[in-house]
Amino acid sequence: MAWEYSEKTKKLFMDAVQGRPGTHLGEIESPDGFGEHGSIACGDALRFTFRVDRHPTDPTQDKIVAARYLTFGCTSAIAASEALCTMIEQGQYTPIQALKIRNQDIVEFLGGLPEQKIHCSVMGAEALEAAVFNWAQKRGVDLAGLGVDIHAQEQEEGRVVCKCFSLTEPYIRRKIRELNLRTIPEITNAIKAGGACMACHHVPGGLQDLLDETWGKAGKPGVLTQINLPKPREAAEPTPSISPYQFSKKVEKAIDQYVRPMLQQDGGDVEVVDIKNMLVYCRLVGACRGCPSALQTLRMLVERTLKELVDERIRVIEV
Amino acid sequence: MNTIYVDNNATTQVAAEVREAMTPFLTDEYFNPSSMYEPARRTAQALTAARQQVADFFHLDDPKQILFTSCATESNNTALYGAAKANPGRRHIITTTVEHPAVLEVCKDLQRDAYDVTFLPVDVHGNLDPAQFIRALRPDTLLVSIMHANNETGVVFPVEQLARITKQTDPAILFHTDATQSVGKIPIDLAGDFQYVDLLSFSGHKLHAPKGVGVLYLKRGTACRPFMIGGHQESSRRAGTENVPYIVGLAKALELAAANHVQEEVHIRRLRDRLEQGIQAQIPCVQVNGEGAVRLPNTLNVSCHYVEGEGMLYQLSDCGICASSGSACTSGSLEPSHVLRAMSVPFTAVHGSIRFSFSRYNTQDEVERILEVFPQIVANLRRLSPYWDQAHNAPRADAQSLVRDPRAATS
Repeated sequence: MAWEYSEKTKKLFMDAVQGRPGTHLGEIESPDGFGEHGSIACGDALRFTFRVDRHPTDPTQDKIVAARYLTFGCTSAIAASEALCTMIEQGQYTPIQALKIRNQDIVEFLGGLPEQKIHCSVMGAEALEAAVFNWAQKRGVDLAGLGVDIHAQEQEEGRVVCKCFSLTEPYIRRKIRELNLRTIPEITNAIKAGGACMACHHVPGGLQDLLDETWGKAGKPGVLTQINLPKPREAAEPTPSISPYQFSKKVEKAIDQYVRPMLQQDGGDVEVVDIKNMLVYCRLVGACRGCPSALQTLRMLVERTLKELVDERIRVIEV
Repeated sequence: MNTIYVDNNATTQVAAEVREAMTPFLTDEYFNPSSMYEPARRTAQALTAARQQVADFFHLDDPKQILFTSCATESNNTALYGAAKANPGRRHIITTTVEHPAVLEVCKDLQRDAYDVTFLPVDVHGNLDPAQFIRALRPDTLLVSIMHANNETGVVFPVEQLARITKQTDPAILFHTDATQSVGKIPIDLAGDFQYVDLLSFSGHKLHAPKGVGVLYLKRGTACRPFMIGGHQESSRRAGTENVPYIVGLAKALELAAANHVQEEVHIRRLRDRLEQGIQAQIPCVQVNGEGAVRLPNTLNVSCHYVEGEGMLYQLSDCGICASSGSACTSGSLEPSHVLRAMSVPFTAVHGSIRFSFSRYNTQDEVERILEVFPQIVANLRRLSPYWDQAHNAPRADAQSLVRDPRAATS
C-alpha cells in the first residue's frame, strides 16, 4: 500500500536528498561514537557517528555536539535518521541521556509513521545504542556499572513476520526454541509477536507455521514430531461425580423447589432444555421475556441456586 | 413492456449512487493501491476509507477484521476450509440442511476428508430446534456454520443466540454465518448482539453493488488459514490486487442501506405482504413456505400445488416479470430445492414453488401488475394438470393422496 507519510517526514526526506543546509547527512571523521545497524541484505542500513565536547574530568559529562548519518533505505528510514540527529543535537545530550530517545520518540518527532514502517525508527535507535556503546569503550565508561543496560542486538535480520512489532522470522524461530514456546498466546506473551493486529497468526509463514515447523504439526503426527506434540493445555471437562441421571434429577429438583415458585409468582417459568456435564441450558419464559436485563437477572438467579444446591461448577446458559 | 424485477435474492440492480462512486476508479484512478507514487496513494486511501465504512456498518472498531474477497462463495470457502486447516485438533462441524451450496458442498467435501459433519434439520416452518443444536455441540466441535437468512424462503435463524450458546459452551468453537441474504436487510451489530460471531460472509451484489466483490469478517485472533495466497494484500490473509472500484462500490452500497434502512424496510415489507395476501386471496391451494417463521421482509416463497414452477416462470417472463423457482443455484441441477425438501414440503409443492424477492426499487404498481397476471398463470397450468378438477376449481379427490400435508407429517 502506498505509504501515508506525514508532511514532516516528507520534508525531512526531501531536504536530505536535495542536500539542503541544516541536514545531517554525512560521516564524522574519527568520531567519538560510531554505530551501525541493519544491512544491505535487509534493505535498510544506517551508519551513525557523533562527536562530543569532551569533559576534562568526567567522560559521562561529555556532550554530543554533532551527529551525522549515512543511510541506505526508504523515505522513512532517511527521515528517521534525520530526526534522530536533530533531536540529539537540539537536546545537547550526553551520550547516556541520548539513549533515552526511543523509537517512539522518533515516530512522534516525525508526526507518525505508517504501521509497516515503524521498523525504520527502530533502526535509528539501535544504531544510536551501538554508537554510545562505542563511545563508552573509547572513553573508558563502564555503562553496566552506571546501570545503563544496552542489551545485545537481539533482532536477527530476515523476513518480517510480525509487522506490528517488526519481528523477524529468525528471531521468532530462535525464541520459540529457546523459551520452549508451544502456542501463539505463549509467543505473544513472551516476545509480543502477533499481539496487535493478529493477522500473522495463521497466514502462510506465520506464527502457527513457525510453531508447526519447530515442534511438528498437531493432528498430523509424524514419527519424530509425535514426541514433541504439545500436551493439550485445556483442563479436562468438569464432570459431575454422580451419574448424569442423578445429576439431572438434582438440577430439576432444585429448580422445582426454589426457582420455579419464585418465577411463577411473576407469571414466568423456566425449562431445562439440556444438560451437558456442568452446563445447564435453560429457556426462561414469562412476563419479562424480551427484556434482556431481566433475563440476565433470571439466569443469575438460576445459576446461583444450582451452584449452591447442586454443584458450584455449574454454569447456566440461556437458550 | 417494462421489466418487473422481483428476483432480488438472486442479484440486484446496481444503485446509481454506487455506480457514481465507482466511476473514478474505473477511469482516472486506476492505480494499484500497493504502488508508491502519489496517485496510488489516493487509491490506497479510497481502499482504506471503504474498509472503514464496512467496519462502521457493523459497528466494528478495528477495520482490519474486514477482508475483501471476490464473492460470498469465496468468503464461505475461505471460512470453512481455513478454519478446518488452522484447527487440526478438532474434526467436527455443525451446519444445517438448508445452507446455500457454497457452505453445504464445502461441508460435504470436508466430510470426504474425514471430518464429521452434523447437518441440523429444520421443521416445516424452516426453524431450527435449539435443543437439537445444543445436543450437537461436542468437545471436538471445530466450527459451527449457520446461515443468517435463507436465500429461498427468507427464514431468519437466530444466529446471535446460537453464536452466544456456542461460545458460552466452548469458546474454542468457531462460529461462522453466511449473511449474504441478510446484510443490508437486517441490522447486524458485530460489537453488540452478534459479538459472538467469529466469521461472517456476504457479497455486494445482493445489496445494489456489482457482482464480483464480497466480504469476509474475520474477528481479530480467529484461527483461519488463508485460502488465496501469494500476496501481502489484506494483511496476507487474502492475496490478489484489491478490486478497488468494486470495493468502493460495496462500501457505498452499505452506506445507502444503513442510511435508508427503516423507510426501506417498511416499503419492502408492505409490497411483500400485499403480494402474499393477494395471492392467498385469489389463488386456491397455495402455501407460503416459511410462513410460521421469522422471515426477511423482502422474500415471498409460495407453492402453488399441482403445477410446475418452470411453467409459471415462463409465463411470468412473458409478462416481463422476473422471479425464480427455488434457488437459481439448485435449479441448474434439475434437483428440487433442498431447502423446501428439508422443510418437508411435498415434492409436488416443491416443484410448484415460486420466489418473489423485492428491493427498494420495486413499486406498488408492480405488485398490482403481478396480481393481475399471476392467478391466471396458475389457472392456465392447472387447466392442464392431471390433479386439478376444472369444474370445481379444486384438486381432484384422488390428488390429495399424492400430496402429504407437511404439517401433519411432523410430530
